[in-house]
Amino acid sequence: MSLPVIMPRLASGLAMLAALMLSSAAQAAPTRLVADLSDNRVDITSTYHGTEILLFGAYEGEEGDDIVLVVSGPGADIKQRRKAKKAGIWVNVETVTWQQAPSFYHIFSTRELNEIADGQALQDAEIGASALQLTLTADANTGAGGHHAGQSTGSDDTQKASAGTSEQLANLDRNMANIGLWAHLPSSIKTQQNMLFRTTLALPSNAPTGDYAIRVVHFRDGVAISQRTTDMNIKKAGLSGLIYRFAHDYSVFYGLFAIAFAVASGWLAAVAFRR
Amino acid sequence: MYIYLPIAEVSMHIGIIIGLGGGVGFLSGLFGVGGGFLMTPLLIFFGIPPAVAVSTEANQIVASSVSGVLAHMRRGNVDFKMGAILMVGGMIGSSLGVALFSFLRSIGQIDLVIQLSYVVFLGIIGMLMLTESLRTIIKSRQPGAKRGKLHQHNWLHGLPFKMRFRRSKLYISALLPLGIGAFVGVLAAIMGVGGGFIMVPAMIYLLGMPTSVVVGTSLFQIIFVTANVTLLQSIQTQTVDFVLAGLLLFGAVVGAQFGSRAGALLRGEQLRGLLALMVLGVCIKIAFDLVVTPEDLLSVELVR
Repeated sequence: MSLPVIMPRLASGLAMLAALMLSSAAQAAPTRLVADLSDNRVDITSTYHGTEILLFGAYEGEEGDDIVLVVSGPGADIKQRRKAKKAGIWVNVETVTWQQAPSFYHIFSTRELNEIADGQALQDAEIGASALQLTLTADANTGAGGHHAGQSTGSDDTQKASAGTSEQLANLDRNMANIGLWAHLPSSIKTQQNMLFRTTLALPSNAPTGDYAIRVVHFRDGVAISQRTTDMNIKKAGLSGLIYRFAHDYSVFYGLFAIAFAVASGWLAAVAFRR
Repeated sequence: MYIYLPIAEVSMHIGIIIGLGGGVGFLSGLFGVGGGFLMTPLLIFFGIPPAVAVSTEANQIVASSVSGVLAHMRRGNVDFKMGAILMVGGMIGSSLGVALFSFLRSIGQIDLVIQLSYVVFLGIIGMLMLTESLRTIIKSRQPGAKRGKLHQHNWLHGLPFKMRFRRSKLYISALLPLGIGAFVGVLAAIMGVGGGFIMVPAMIYLLGMPTSVVVGTSLFQIIFVTANVTLLQSIQTQTVDFVLAGLLLFGAVVGAQFGSRAGALLRGEQLRGLLALMVLGVCIKIAFDLVVTPEDLLSVELVR
């Protein structure tokens, strides 16, 4: 191994050691942290058009401390497709599936994440897309046209699952941000007298239903010293929930009902506007 | 007021949905077409997932075809025997179409196939209609233009299983309407249309049916084909949003009334020329989207 390869490793090794010492020092005196939200049950009703939820809490802070808040939604397989020009038109040529990635992932913080802590400390505190340890598989039925997968994780899945490269993760991050499901929101947390923090979670109307975890992490001098998790549930309710369950649980009857409804309203329209 | 569509899983302003229904309804009343070929691309454009747009539009067309066919039945403009044969073909075709749709969706190519079908079929039909209506307009300005034969005979009329269709004054092979019905059924399932814009020219030019019974008979069989698509999509993909269909329908019913009144003010060939331009417009817009470089070459879809 050449020297330039060893040096960064040595440096990160030292940083890790330092972080360990600091965190163990911090563990000796854990700070108290409480977190809550204005509503931990969100009902998607017929007039739902996204909603805002106040996330707030209290912490034992000092000047220069930071708060990071991670809202993550239920896991889902995310299919990512790449287009290429074939015979003059843009066609999906390659599909990869990210296994059980969070369908919703908003990160709130008091400052830019890289100002709060270094990459390793964020990784240890499980903050950010790279800390999710996502794996992806290439879909068999799309052409294997030059995909650049990362190293194998060595898992024994029948499909070859691999860890995403940082470039692939950045692409996923951008795609998910475009549809509003993932977000980085630096400087979105307001604090008061190093005691209170609050921020607003803007749930888009396409936020997936299910159980959400809201994790608050208290950083001091670049080290996570304390954390707290609370939860939230989003579900379809009222008429819209009823229709959704009807369509999925009794699909034959739903289809017949949709046809009967259409025939009846078509007939009604013809009678009403008979010339 | 926003309304959350339970199956599409998006929220849309109720004014946009009813406005879309009304606008497309107006045009369909004006031109006497179903309007599926306009509505499905518009729904996709407004953020409804393509699969939901196609299935929901099938559900809406059931309703608009029922209300349309009743008027034609009163005037006796439906050839039920021909309609039944077309329907049998349509049932087979649309069942195949829904299966094909599920398969294409699973390999991530459904959007492409929907777009390509639109470009190809709207392009062909639009060009044919445009040249036909231009020719009529030019001819009508020349005195002494002569009428052509009722219909030409070709190899298609030599096929076996001949059947007599009294209302259409035809004695042709049953395989012909069966095949046409099946072909249009596949397209109806994939494109989210009734298929009238292909069925009607096929009935006139391939089957040689009299124009008076063409629209009524086409509407009659479209009811069954789109009902079949609605049922199969409900069972296989759960993509029929009847809240969306109902709201679109409400707008469409009202819009169609104004459209048909406005249509009475225009001449037939002028109407067909305008319709041709609109069809070509949609075709060019979709073709353009296929050719222009996308903003992001990567896209994501959640699977649960």
